[in-house]
Amino acid sequence: MARMVVDPITRIEGHLRVEAQVDGGKITDAWSSGTMFRGIELIVQGRDPREAWLWTQRICAVCTMVHALASVRAVENALEIEIPNNARIVRNLISASQYIHDHIVHFYHLHALDWVDITGALKADPAKTSQLAQSISEWPVSSTAYFRGVQDRVKALVESRQLSLFTSGYWGHPAYHLPPEADLLAVAHYLQALEFQREFIRIHAVLGGKNPHLQSYLVGGMTTAIDPNWPDAPLNPERLDFLVQVAGTAKKFVDQVLIPDVLAVAGFYRGWFSLGMGPGNYLSYGAFPQGRIQDTARYFLPRGIILNNDLSKVHPVDPNKVSEYVTHSWYEYTEGNDVSLAPAKGETNPKYTGPKPPYQFLNVEEKYSWLKAPRYDNYVMEVGPLSRMLVAYAAGQPEVKAMVDGALAKLKAPPAALFSTLGRVAARALETQLLANHIVGWIEELRDNMGHGDLQMHNGEKWEPDSWPRSAQGYGLFEAPRGSLGHWVEIEDTLIKNYQIVVPSTWNAGPRDGKGQRGPYETALLETPIADPERPLEVLRTIHSFDPCLACAVHVTDARGRTYARREI
Amino acid sequence: MDFAPAAKTVVVGIGNPIRTDDGFGVHALRRLQRDPRVPPDVTFIDGGTYGLELLCYVSDSTHLLLLDALDVGEPPGTLIRMANGQLRGLPCAASVHQVGLADLLATLPLVSTAPRQTVLLGVQPLSTDWGTELTAPVEAALGPLVEEAVAQLVGWTEEASAARVPAAGSRGL
Repeated sequence: MARMVVDPITRIEGHLRVEAQVDGGKITDAWSSGTMFRGIELIVQGRDPREAWLWTQRICAVCTMVHALASVRAVENALEIEIPNNARIVRNLISASQYIHDHIVHFYHLHALDWVDITGALKADPAKTSQLAQSISEWPVSSTAYFRGVQDRVKALVESRQLSLFTSGYWGHPAYHLPPEADLLAVAHYLQALEFQREFIRIHAVLGGKNPHLQSYLVGGMTTAIDPNWPDAPLNPERLDFLVQVAGTAKKFVDQVLIPDVLAVAGFYRGWFSLGMGPGNYLSYGAFPQGRIQDTARYFLPRGIILNNDLSKVHPVDPNKVSEYVTHSWYEYTEGNDVSLAPAKGETNPKYTGPKPPYQFLNVEEKYSWLKAPRYDNYVMEVGPLSRMLVAYAAGQPEVKAMVDGALAKLKAPPAALFSTLGRVAARALETQLLANHIVGWIEELRDNMGHGDLQMHNGEKWEPDSWPRSAQGYGLFEAPRGSLGHWVEIEDTLIKNYQIVVPSTWNAGPRDGKGQRGPYETALLETPIADPERPLEVLRTIHSFDPCLACAVHVTDARGRTYARREI
Repeated sequence: MDFAPAAKTVVVGIGNPIRTDDGFGVHALRRLQRDPRVPPDVTFIDGGTYGLELLCYVSDSTHLLLLDALDVGEPPGTLIRMANGQLRGLPCAASVHQVGLADLLATLPLVSTAPRQTVLLGVQPLSTDWGTELTAPVEAALGPLVEEAVAQLVGWTEEASAARVPAAGSRGL
């Protein structure tokens, strides 16, 4: 019996440590420890609630928009503010394009190298790669000469030791199973996805006023002016044409590159359809309102809960049933160690009791993580694209049902195969396709409204603080690309009194709770075969399939050991 | 070719302004942006903690100036300058977003062929705790760093106008 430590888990955002017990070549128990200390409430307490989103959007590197949106929603919920229809559509478009962007970056740049061996790509025959590419997709960039060119570029990078992007891979690991042609195809698309994301992200420059940090949110709506007769308006007929064009490019890339690649890679790793199952409970707050935000039944991605992998029933979500344990987290609650607290009553009193670094193992019998353990009605919940797609599938959303059934048929797999590491990968890709199918329609809705003279983007009725009650509480629920995100705000005398956030990775990466139940990562790692404990590629596959994001808040560049010019002040 | 592509200078401030010294690059960017000595046509990007998301802003730049907090093990507040070759092979930690800057620099040559001068001006941080203010030694480095940044931008502009002289005598368009 051996204890294995993976710290930090690479190619994720932030710091995550996993300790796993390996027995007979398989993981028999696992502990997930996040090194994030959540302190955003310390930053926003005492501020004007209308500016909270400007601060909360800085919590995370790639999740800025989701924290901005959850924050304005929380304040709108507390102050009972309705937003105009145009603002709803613009918010949906910003979020949907973020999903598409993030999911593609996740697959190609954060996850693909867990399945794709760069050294295999160097051995591939470009002509066979071209044949493979043309057999699975219409995508035109697929000639032998093209793949030979990619191979030469990667070879040159390897030889010049400039391969820093690819340095952490466990190249040549026995768990890699792709034929060399598929390796080369995936590496080529890794590069194409970089170029795709570079162009696609321009959609946010139009909708957000300023990128990378969108400036167009506003409590009560958006600042994105829409005006058919103003050439400089952020949204006018020409800008809408541009958005439609970018959306079309995205749809083509998703249909012809992402989906065929995911299905092809999955086909070579079928064993991973029966590994990596989480707690079997799936939560989605629902996303993309099609009417008023209170009208949750009309969300494009439905709100709901699935329990015990039972797809015959979707349970309703009551936000009041969310609470957090700190039994195994480095915090103290005034009411004791074994209670759980609702986020609205949340406390963040850090108390580190772990070992002093450097250390070998955490004391997992006691507290071992900076993440709290969120639970829904005491159930452990998995969140993310798989949860959203399962809830939509079980709720009978016809398009999702057709897509999921179609993918399962192609993979010759039953619905139960979705409860797995590869199920997460497939669900994320299908969700990308679903949204890519719909954003053009949402842009056209804006065009229709503009045509009918509906130019309203903001509701200013309750903008002035003297129109607010003396105290108010609210929550903003949203599905970030990674999963369920909630902001809870308490306003008193026009200022923020308390603010709490429960982020997707806390749901997935959190530790055991007061009842000893494992968190989703901890459960998903059980039974995972480990070919080589020194190179735990299999652990990365399952952890990365969740798209982890933890303390992506600190970004000091590590340049130790480099040559540089210095000057002391 | 008779003439080089038009110069495009981009300044990116990197860091998280709610994590004290981590936000140094963003604080420096804001101050530099207001400095009247900065040549016209310089593009300023608040890069925050993004990595690859910044590709579209920098991939067509010919001159790239990065402002960042940099851990080199020096006393807090030490100014650091790295250029071109020195920036090659910064430890990526293989995370697209965690060490965004290193990944961004590693990725640039894969998606762009623009000839490029890249300079990074940074400071050794003291703290990256939650907070919206810089610590004292790092705050004290803001002024000197902005001076260096202005000198760099002015230097690039002068080089570019010197380089344009022969092009003016060619056939041109």
